[in-house]
Amino acid sequence: MSDPLLTLVLILAKLGVIFGVILTLAAYLVLAERKLLARMQLRYGPNRVGLFGLMQPLADLIKLLTKEDFLPARADKWLFLLAPGISAVTALLTFAVIPFGPPLELFGKTVPLVVIDLNVGVLYFLAFSSLAVYGIALGGWASNSKYALLGSIRGLSQLISYELSMGLAIVPVVMMARSFSLTEIVMAQEKIPYILLNPVAFMIFLISILAESKRIPFDLPEAENELVAGFHTEYSGMRFGLFFVGEYINLIILGSMVTVLFLGGWHGPWLPGVIWFSVKVLAICGFFIWVRGSMPRLRYDQLMHFGWKVLLPISLLNVLVTGAILLGMG
Amino acid sequence: MHIWRDLRGTVQPFWITLRNMLRKPVTVQYPEQKQQLSPRYRARLILSRDPDGNERCVACHLCSAACPVDCISMQAVEAEDGRRYAAWFRINFTRCIFCGLCTEACPTLAIQVTGDFELAGRDPLKLVYEKEDLLVDHCGHNSEYNFYRQAGIGVAAPRGTNSTESEPVDVKDLLP
Amino acid sequence: MPTLTIDNQKITVPEGKTVLEAAEELGIQVPHFCYHKELGAVGACRMCAVTVQEGSSKGLKMSCLIPAEDGMVVTTDDEQSTTFRDRVGEWLMLNHPHDCPVCDEGGECQLQEMTIASGHGVRRYAGQKRTYNNQDLGPFVAQEMNRCIQCYRCVRTYQDYCGGRDFGVMGSRNRVFFGRFQDGTLESDFSGNIVDVCPTGVLTDKTYRFKSRYWDLQEAPSVCPHCSLGCATIPGGRFHELQRVRSGENQLVNGFFICDRGRFGSGYVNHPERPRQARNNEQLIGMDEALRQLDVEARGLIEQHGPEAVLLLGSERTSLEANWLLQQWAKKLGCREPVLAAHGPRHQAAQVVAFDLSDRLASLEQVRGSDLVLVAGADPLAEAPMLAVALRQVVRSGGQVIVYDPRPVELPCEFDHQALSPLALLDFLTAGGSDGQHVRELLQHAESPILVGGADLLGVEGLQRLKKMSLELSNDQRPCLIYPLLSNPNSFGAALLSLPEQDDLLTRLETGRVKMLVCLESDPLLEAPESDRFSVALTKLDKLVVLDYLPTPLSVHANLFIPTRTPVESDGTFINNEGRLRSYAGVLEPGLPISVAEDGGHPPREFSTVSPGSDPLSASRILQILLKDDSSLVELHQQMVADFPRLAGLTGLTPSDAGVRVADAAARNVVNIDLPEQPVGTLQLIVSPARYGSDLLSRYSDKLEPRFSSAWVMMNSQDAAERGLQEGDKVILDTETGSFCLPMICHPQLAAGCALVENSAALASLVPGAGISYCEVSREVSHE
Repeated sequence: MSDPLLTLVLILAKLGVIFGVILTLAAYLVLAERKLLARMQLRYGPNRVGLFGLMQPLADLIKLLTKEDFLPARADKWLFLLAPGISAVTALLTFAVIPFGPPLELFGKTVPLVVIDLNVGVLYFLAFSSLAVYGIALGGWASNSKYALLGSIRGLSQLISYELSMGLAIVPVVMMARSFSLTEIVMAQEKIPYILLNPVAFMIFLISILAESKRIPFDLPEAENELVAGFHTEYSGMRFGLFFVGEYINLIILGSMVTVLFLGGWHGPWLPGVIWFSVKVLAICGFFIWVRGSMPRLRYDQLMHFGWKVLLPISLLNVLVTGAILLGMG
Repeated sequence: MHIWRDLRGTVQPFWITLRNMLRKPVTVQYPEQKQQLSPRYRARLILSRDPDGNERCVACHLCSAACPVDCISMQAVEAEDGRRYAAWFRINFTRCIFCGLCTEACPTLAIQVTGDFELAGRDPLKLVYEKEDLLVDHCGHNSEYNFYRQAGIGVAAPRGTNSTESEPVDVKDLLP
Repeated sequence: MPTLTIDNQKITVPEGKTVLEAAEELGIQVPHFCYHKELGAVGACRMCAVTVQEGSSKGLKMSCLIPAEDGMVVTTDDEQSTTFRDRVGEWLMLNHPHDCPVCDEGGECQLQEMTIASGHGVRRYAGQKRTYNNQDLGPFVAQEMNRCIQCYRCVRTYQDYCGGRDFGVMGSRNRVFFGRFQDGTLESDFSGNIVDVCPTGVLTDKTYRFKSRYWDLQEAPSVCPHCSLGCATIPGGRFHELQRVRSGENQLVNGFFICDRGRFGSGYVNHPERPRQARNNEQLIGMDEALRQLDVEARGLIEQHGPEAVLLLGSERTSLEANWLLQQWAKKLGCREPVLAAHGPRHQAAQVVAFDLSDRLASLEQVRGSDLVLVAGADPLAEAPMLAVALRQVVRSGGQVIVYDPRPVELPCEFDHQALSPLALLDFLTAGGSDGQHVRELLQHAESPILVGGADLLGVEGLQRLKKMSLELSNDQRPCLIYPLLSNPNSFGAALLSLPEQDDLLTRLETGRVKMLVCLESDPLLEAPESDRFSVALTKLDKLVVLDYLPTPLSVHANLFIPTRTPVESDGTFINNEGRLRSYAGVLEPGLPISVAEDGGHPPREFSTVSPGSDPLSASRILQILLKDDSSLVELHQQMVADFPRLAGLTGLTPSDAGVRVADAAARNVVNIDLPEQPVGTLQLIVSPARYGSDLLSRYSDKLEPRFSSAWVMMNSQDAAERGLQEGDKVILDTETGSFCLPMICHPQLAAGCALVENSAALASLVPGAGISYCEVSREVSHE
């Protein structure tokens, strides 16, 4: 087998595995979230479909697929149909650069456990997380509904505001690892994860990705009690499902990014790298769910105030301080 | 500044939710476990009978007037003995919101609520109850009241023989 | 104009108004029972107590009895009056049976309202309640005396206002009883009014017994379609059924009351045989299809045979709008102008009223206020019952009523009656004889004389003589107005729209050029004389189209039948006999009443967006569809006013208005008709409408059936004796229309030389208003 062909086959295989795992994970993340939230509220959560409600995601899928695909009057048809796709696909594509395990020896070849090990992986991640905004903006605008439009406008301004801090929180990591490649960033944390070296950057990043994922306490774009369902008010059936699934894929991606950037990726004692990676990602996702169960929603002015007047100065300061220390250490 | 308060306010909910997760849920698993209902629970409506075994409903339209969703309709007719009763009486339970205003409006205690709340089905017409579906063979909550023994127009008893009434007067009597 | 202060509000009222009326004008509700706007006050109920703080007599007073004085200060909400009213309310409820749930008055009961207004809530008195035995008052009124509060309104209405004699008050102290001497049907033709005035449920409508609650009824202001007076009514219906009619208020026309024919004659709307679906011969079709066929065939026939081929027939009982639209449709089709009434002579007489008399018409209010009324050739109780009540008010206020009519006229008041045969009546109107001179002198000296003339009996000739008489009797100080009686609710309207000197229906039909006859809410077989000539003419037609809401005999013969809506199911306008535009509003949507469809059982258990029998469209809507005209009623009225400037009053007219008079018109000067010579040995035939069942609407009303009369022929006792006939004999009545075998009754007050029959369901082929004709009466030859 020629080398490029083998690389292609390996990439495709990795893609297939990742797609399968991520989509299943996303579906069961929904179930896990519902179960956890229910327990936090002294309920059981879904427990009727299958054992402990384990078939609930399947039932949801069948429901979403069989529901009417509704197109509002005077909506922008093509944009309306396209938007959920953008949302889901950009989320999936981001995973291409995430290393989820140590390189593997296969057929006498070192296979990195990442779909494509870009040397500018961090920039790729930033670029795609910005692109995801289009799904929301276009979906909300094309719906021809005031609630959807308001939701998408909120989503836009919120993402723009928090992307800055998020980017600035990665800068110290890049400076410390001296690389834009995510694999190398993980390698650099072999001894000490960056969460211990730079906890401020970790906190900023965590808060920013909460906002990025439009989850409580930053779920203003889909604030139910103000905007019905925000940007996806007019969506139904599997198109709504795509938005929904996109959101949970995004959750996994962001969890992976936290793991990669601050928690040392696949590094860990005793267990294989992939397992360590998964455990860390799931822990982050679990924390997100916990936050959702515990926090109230921010007011819009509080959101903006916090983003621009608190988070951004702190992250700038953090970059300066980290830079100074690194410079001092030589 | 209320840094301490704000910090506590941010962290405490996490503790509360965490603690809750370790508690037993309060959910009643409905079809398997049944809840004990209050005796005043408001669900399916019935038409009761008076102690003499006659229909209490006099089709006075007060329940349908009180009904906020207009789910009650009826037609009154007169029986041979002057008794007013419902020729037909229909409650559309697909509309009913079980507010109980009809029972409060009912002057004869005919329409009453019961605890039977399991009113669901795939055929809406099966939830449109006619008089024969509503009428029961007992007095319901009150086993003594009989409207016609209070209202003196000579239906349950001949005119002027209810406990609060005197004999009909002789209008052609000119004695003072 | 005294100015007084009530509850710190100042108001100026006309002299003679009571404090209660003044308070009502201010919007202050003083509870009351015995006071009624029309009947006045008697101070029987003691409910309207107020305290007079400043005035000629201070203290607690009955506000319905004390006239407003200048500078008076009255309070209605002070401690003294409210306590007094509370006690009175409690005391009135002492004997009440507390049976509101089974009482038909519940919901519109003044006792319920006033008890709450007076503040009484809980019964404290523990003693026995007084009870009564009820009476059977006939098919119209139900009695439940236990509910009575002795306000005397019923007696004041029945006896004093309407002139009934068989209902009154009996007994003494707390045994006061309102009823008849013994069980039996109330004889008055205005008995239903006691249902309206009774403030509690003592007297309720038996035909409406337990049918609906007031709050469930659909109601709207309407106009009574049973005679030409156009009284204000409020029909009420539920479940597609017209369940009752109560009287509306129109001070210019009927005041507060209506007659039993108008009140109980509503059954035609729910008639079980009422046609509710369009029909092509035997086959039922949809409305769209029926209208398409009508349009296509009418146009085809005109193209083929010319403008004479299609004849449109309007009606005196359909709305003004429908008649006008029929004319527009004729113009669009290009056929000759429509005939607007099947009954030619009546239509001509109505034209005399609508044109020649239009500047001298009195209103019913003016009749009530008159001091001398001459009734010529009219039987008010049969032709326009509320006129009889108006005449009673003339007598009650000291006026005089003189009746010149061949029939043994009855009125609920004292009056002078002179029986003159129709021919003699015409002579009388042209000052014939000493009698005529004497009456003229009386009228000359009267302050506001009114001439009432029945168009049916007087005809064109008589009405014109009446006009001449009125002109002669008018002077500079006051006019002498005419109050004509027409036959149908919209006779005036049909006459107003009609063209001068057009051929009548039969003349045009008998030319044989008519291929298609379209009858709009009209049945010449029942509503016009010479029905046999008409039925012969019908055979020459290719196509008979009937649009109607009644199951008339003609609709059975129709090739194409299209159902229309009754006046209570549509909006429209009538013009009453005094030329007043009276607009009515639809109350119900047409449909098969549940009570008719299900025979008392519960309504069908099925989902449907259309209710059965909801096909009918109003006549004017049908014509608008044929004209492809989508204008609203207001736009339609604008077009009509532009076409007929006399109808200017239509602009802005609403059903709750008292109605506006049409503008006066120039006289048309109809050519005088030669009166036929009386053959020797004959009697003058008088066809009079029966009190109930002569107009088609009451004939199809089942509620009125107990009042329908049988057929008979009436003769003067002397004429009968001359012919050797005795009361009860079966006689043969030979008329131009045909021979009838009828029982004969004698009456001394029938004019000599006359024979009287009544038009009703029992004798439908003799129609009133056909002009003067002669008949012979002979004993039936037995075939033994």
